Amino acid sequence: MRGIDVFSRPLEYLTPLGEQVGEIIREWVENEVIPYRRRFDEDYLEHRLILPPFKKLLGEYGIQRILFPEDLGGWGLGHSDYLCVAAFRMFEEIARADSGMAVAFGVVFWPLVLICCEPHVNRRLCEEFAPMFTGTTEPVFSCLAMTEPQGGSDIENVEVLKGSTIRTTAVQDGDEWVINGHKLWPTNTGGVADLMAVVCTTNPGSRNPDDIAIIFVPCDRPGVTQGPAYEKAGMAADKNGDIWFENVRVPLWYRACGPGDDAKYYGEVVSLGNMGSIAFAVGVMLNIYEKLQEYANRKVYRGLPLKENDAVAGVLADFATTIEAVRIIGYQCARMCDRQDLYGPRWSPEIVARARAHRYFAADRALEAIGKVMNLMECFGPDRDWDVEKHWRDIKMVQLWLGGKQLSQMEVARWFFECETL
Amino acid sequence: MNDLELFPYPKNRLQKTDLDLAASLQDLVQKEIVDKRLELKEDYRGLLEPNLNKLLVEVGLQRMFWPEKLGGEEHNGPEAAYTVAAALEQVGRADTGLAYLAAHNLALQASLAMRENLNQEACGRFAPLFCDGRGPVIVSFVLPVFGEDEKAPAWRGKSFQVRARAASGSWVLNGKGVRPTCSGADAHLFGAWCAVEGEEQPAFILVPGDAPGLSRGPEFKKTGLAASRNADLDLSGVEVPAENCLFRGDLEYRRLLSWFYLGVSAAAVGGLLAAYQILKEWGDNRVIKGTGNVFKENPLTGALMGEIAQDISMSRLLAYDLAGMLADPTTFGDAGSDMVYTAALMIVHHVLATAERALHRTMELMASAGYAKEWQLERYWRDLKTVQCYVGSHELAKHDFARWFYGARTL
Repeated sequence: MRGIDVFSRPLEYLTPLGEQVGEIIREWVENEVIPYRRRFDEDYLEHRLILPPFKKLLGEYGIQRILFPEDLGGWGLGHSDYLCVAAFRMFEEIARADSGMAVAFGVVFWPLVLICCEPHVNRRLCEEFAPMFTGTTEPVFSCLAMTEPQGGSDIENVEVLKGSTIRTTAVQDGDEWVINGHKLWPTNTGGVADLMAVVCTTNPGSRNPDDIAIIFVPCDRPGVTQGPAYEKAGMAADKNGDIWFENVRVPLWYRACGPGDDAKYYGEVVSLGNMGSIAFAVGVMLNIYEKLQEYANRKVYRGLPLKENDAVAGVLADFATTIEAVRIIGYQCARMCDRQDLYGPRWSPEIVARARAHRYFAADRALEAIGKVMNLMECFGPDRDWDVEKHWRDIKMVQLWLGGKQLSQMEVARWFFECETL
Repeated sequence: MNDLELFPYPKNRLQKTDLDLAASLQDLVQKEIVDKRLELKEDYRGLLEPNLNKLLVEVGLQRMFWPEKLGGEEHNGPEAAYTVAAALEQVGRADTGLAYLAAHNLALQASLAMRENLNQEACGRFAPLFCDGRGPVIVSFVLPVFGEDEKAPAWRGKSFQVRARAASGSWVLNGKGVRPTCSGADAHLFGAWCAVEGEEQPAFILVPGDAPGLSRGPEFKKTGLAASRNADLDLSGVEVPAENCLFRGDLEYRRLLSWFYLGVSAAAVGGLLAAYQILKEWGDNRVIKGTGNVFKENPLTGALMGEIAQDISMSRLLAYDLAGMLADPTTFGDAGSDMVYTAALMIVHHVLATAERALHRTMELMASAGYAKEWQLERYWRDLKTVQCYVGSHELAKHDFARWFYGARTL
């Protein structure tokens, strides 16, 4: 029976490191995740099943150190021009088992991009935080705190709102920032995160990009309170909760990139978040392909395996076609984010818009295709023992996060059609 | 105006008793289910089971069709189709799973106790169970499925899950790893459409949940429908009286399904109406783009909300159209006729596909709140998708459409 490696990838984009780590992760998910994942939904608060495999991957294998410079104990991927393609491979391998774990894994690195990646490496912050990640075999989690109770995705809508709706404040007091505010939904909250990057304003209501500040806050600082994980439709491995900041003090130099640059490079995390989301969709579909292979071979219809029926084959073909197309788009998106010399900076409105377009196309197609697979499987489609329904629930969240579809549509229209008032 | 009245339906064709029932159910489910679900979530023992009892026993949905002399309401004319639609959309608004269970119960009643096709003997045997007021009767079906083991006999391409053998004064049933349409862990009665050994004509046989030889597997986890605690069954030489075979013909089987699909369609419309109410609150209050504009006033999100309302309206009209066809056999033919059955199958698939799309879009509009359990929307999304899968593959249903419209013979 053909396996998941039959689907196209632009081979010229692949890198030895990404492939090697990808193989390690494939073995890890087979042994450490897939056997246990059907019980993850009930583990959403405690993570008793979810944390041990992360300890192995992040801490013991040391993958949590990959972005930091080599002289600080990292693998130096932040200096490479293949970070995104390598990340895409890792993400799809993890998402094949559990896309909740894939996002929790991805967000470990998400805020670190702001300080570890060229051309805006913040050496002092790298030196400050590298030991957290490189000096332990315990898993270390980061989070990027953006969304607030009012306005939801308005925070992510930097190009239009320019930070004017941010209510989490950072006020300078001597050589420290004093942070106050309330954030919702960041991945790796609910008590998981050790380090967070917080999107703040230094001047509430201002539309000056200089006033958008992304400030790193170790989660054990006095005044940081995390609520319990929300109960969601899926993605139990991705804990989301409230975070309250009450007079939280950190040094001034904990600001990621500085006035103007925080706002500018915020676009970069949006691009990378969208790129990663496509990898999650691909990973999920690859696993469903495996499940569907098993189902369509095992079930018999009119004396032949189900797959031999023309009508069924039509659905199978559509599913395979979706994987083919989405995977190629995803790798192209990753390559675009890597090769800034060819495509321009990945924080530019152009790349942000392209990545948004790729992501929402991928998520829409994946969701539609998986829904049809569930329907084909009739009463076994919603059965947890077949794993397809779990992926269906999870991929819906991939479609909705990062400001949701409508914000993506606006950003795409704004760039491609030069809309000025959206 | 009651916000549910915004969505048109043929109110003029409903009797006052239907409207009164719908109004009282609307109040009941609001108080007993909707207002309590934030606290009780999808708790079976705490929320769903007690309300199943309220709906089936106290309100009396499980007595609706049976003859009065047997303790029923004898509301058993074809016009009861409107009652089913009006009642189950209200129940479905509160909990799609409860409405799905009630749809099974009402379809079985309709197939046995409908005035024009009253099965006196079966009514005499089974009505007391439904009418004695001792508790809800959970009815489940065991239907042929799309793709099974190679040796299973087939009906219209689907494989029978249960085989029956006629014995002296009884039927003996066998089936392994049988998947019922709901409540395998709880059902009191299983209606199984069985292959009959040595005969071409299948048989619809009722199997009591406590029949010797019937064993239930553990409840399995699934996407939604918490009200239906499902489990696979093994039937090992299960013997039931010969009278438990309710019918042998396709006509009666299709009649049962037509009524079932009406109930399911109405349940789905209920889920859509619930989604509307949740989205309306969101659209009224959510401010976007920092401009002070609420969600519904934005041209893009407002248009999408409009499209969702269109989907709900069309689904409601279609469900009531099906009720209208079942309510008027003189004009449209028997509920088990090819035309009415095909229409019922088309409508239930269309409504469920539309519901899936509308729920997807509602969730898109609400972003994270769409998938947070706190907002109560995602459960309808999970429930409706689960119902869609249990109703069966759209691919095979399309073959039924092709049989009727194009005269396809070998599909």
